[in-house]
Amino acid sequence: MIIVVTYQWAPDPQEATVAADGTVDFSRAKPQISDYDATAIEVGRALADATGARLVGVSVTGGAGAAPVATKAALARGLDEVLVVSDPRLEGAGTTMTATAIAAAVRSLGEVSLVLTGDSSIDNGAKMVAGVLGGVLGWPVLTDVTAVRFVGEGLEAVRVVPQGVQTMAVTAPAVIATAADAAKPKAPGMKDVLAAGKKPVRIMTADEAGVVIRAEGVLRSTGRAPAPARRMVRIDTSDPASAGAELVSSLRAAGVWGG
Amino acid sequence: MPTYVLIAGTPAVADLVAMAVSLDRGVVAVVVGDESLARAASVPGVDTVIWLQASADAALEAYAGSVADLVTDPGVVLAGRNPWERVLLGAVAARLDAPVLTGATRVVAEGAATVVTHGVYGGIAQATVAVEGPVALVLDGGAALAGGGTAPVETATAAPTGITQASLTPHQAPAADLAGAARVVGVGRGLRSADDLPLVQALATALGAELACSRPVAEGLEWLPKDRYVGISGQHIAPDLYVMVGISGQIQHMGGCSGARVVVSVNSDKDAPVVAQSDLVLTGDLYTLVPAITEALERSGHGQ
Repeated sequence: MIIVVTYQWAPDPQEATVAADGTVDFSRAKPQISDYDATAIEVGRALADATGARLVGVSVTGGAGAAPVATKAALARGLDEVLVVSDPRLEGAGTTMTATAIAAAVRSLGEVSLVLTGDSSIDNGAKMVAGVLGGVLGWPVLTDVTAVRFVGEGLEAVRVVPQGVQTMAVTAPAVIATAADAAKPKAPGMKDVLAAGKKPVRIMTADEAGVVIRAEGVLRSTGRAPAPARRMVRIDTSDPASAGAELVSSLRAAGVWGG
Repeated sequence: MPTYVLIAGTPAVADLVAMAVSLDRGVVAVVVGDESLARAASVPGVDTVIWLQASADAALEAYAGSVADLVTDPGVVLAGRNPWERVLLGAVAARLDAPVLTGATRVVAEGAATVVTHGVYGGIAQATVAVEGPVALVLDGGAALAGGGTAPVETATAAPTGITQASLTPHQAPAADLAGAARVVGVGRGLRSADDLPLVQALATALGAELACSRPVAEGLEWLPKDRYVGISGQHIAPDLYVMVGISGQIQHMGGCSGARVVVSVNSDKDAPVVAQSDLVLTGDLYTLVPAITEALERSGHGQ
């Protein structure tokens, strides 16, 4: 049995800088395995240990994610092997292109029972990869899952929704997106890092994976994120009590306090 | 190439319908849920409601294949940010091989093409793209639909597959309703300890506000439940008043509250990013300022 965990080698946009024309500069942001993906790997490791499954990491990259530093970082988290679809044309790929490439890699592995993804991608944060991936594979998809285990031929997954805590029966194979608090990933130790260097790494081009690259629209322009204009009125806080009173009267003037 | 709106489990999608109507290509609402939801979706501007009756024990996600079967000829497909809405939209995007864009602020029909201005990299910048063919958009839903239109409700065959609900344990305490709150107080890592939360809760109580937090407070420190964190990947709120206590103002957080009408920040750093994103700025020690504000509010009274 194979369990796949998807992961991404990407920098956190919070460390990027945005120029006035909306150009995003990631040169000073360090790529990493995000906490979301580390959580999914941790969940996958526990499931693989419980079932004897092989835990395979699948990643899609424009190139950086195929470098040894990237694959080792993923393997040190507890994966048994990684399969990377690497193609310069996949740099900056959108959700649908990325999910399509992941699906091709998953299919190439054969008998996969479960694909785990993180809660959200670190770069786009749209939480859409799992849904599209399941659509491409034709598998059921459940997201925001805090606990998952194999029961008989299928899976049992738990998640928290506004109505309460749901326990769901999911047929396998399935795509499950883990919630951010589904596990607490540990930082890899020296032993994990050394072992990672000896684990199998396979790298495929998009053509080898059978992925047809398509542009997802034509970029017309970029810009800074529109920020609501704020007044930035500073209230003197040298005397806390009068600062409190001044805030209250400002809130009243703004129509958000009192009648 | 009509515009499709996917509606599942909640009628709170008025903003999606408004965007669909503005494209003027005809609007089809695909509803997964009960009959009252299907009726609510028949609002002015919607031409057709297609209703998939959800069975009580199937997950809404189980209808992903059925929904994808129905969305055959779209220009734009819209859905909200709930887990099931995202999964249904993902299935449609996969079927049509359509790009998925989030946080669209402007969508314009240009003949057969659709021009979308949307946030990129979690909202730190924006891009305008022209898409030929179908495009799937994820957006905040907005207020609840309440019917009143003339669109007929057509019943479609629903075949749930793959996911059934085995059990549902209701929450002990009611879930936070941040999205609907008129006032919200958010707390960040400026707070030194979970033991100090009552200080901020007292402020929220005085304001008649819901208590919220930044991501690390919910996910790293776990001082508050996860459904109370505001941010790009968390709750999106648009209250009349948002008071931020000890929150520095990183994009991750601000991306979830940009719709707030009045923003107040209490922060020890006079140069924190939050300052430029606040209407009213109080720089200083939150441990002194928050009780002073709470007292001033209680003294003024009658805020409700």
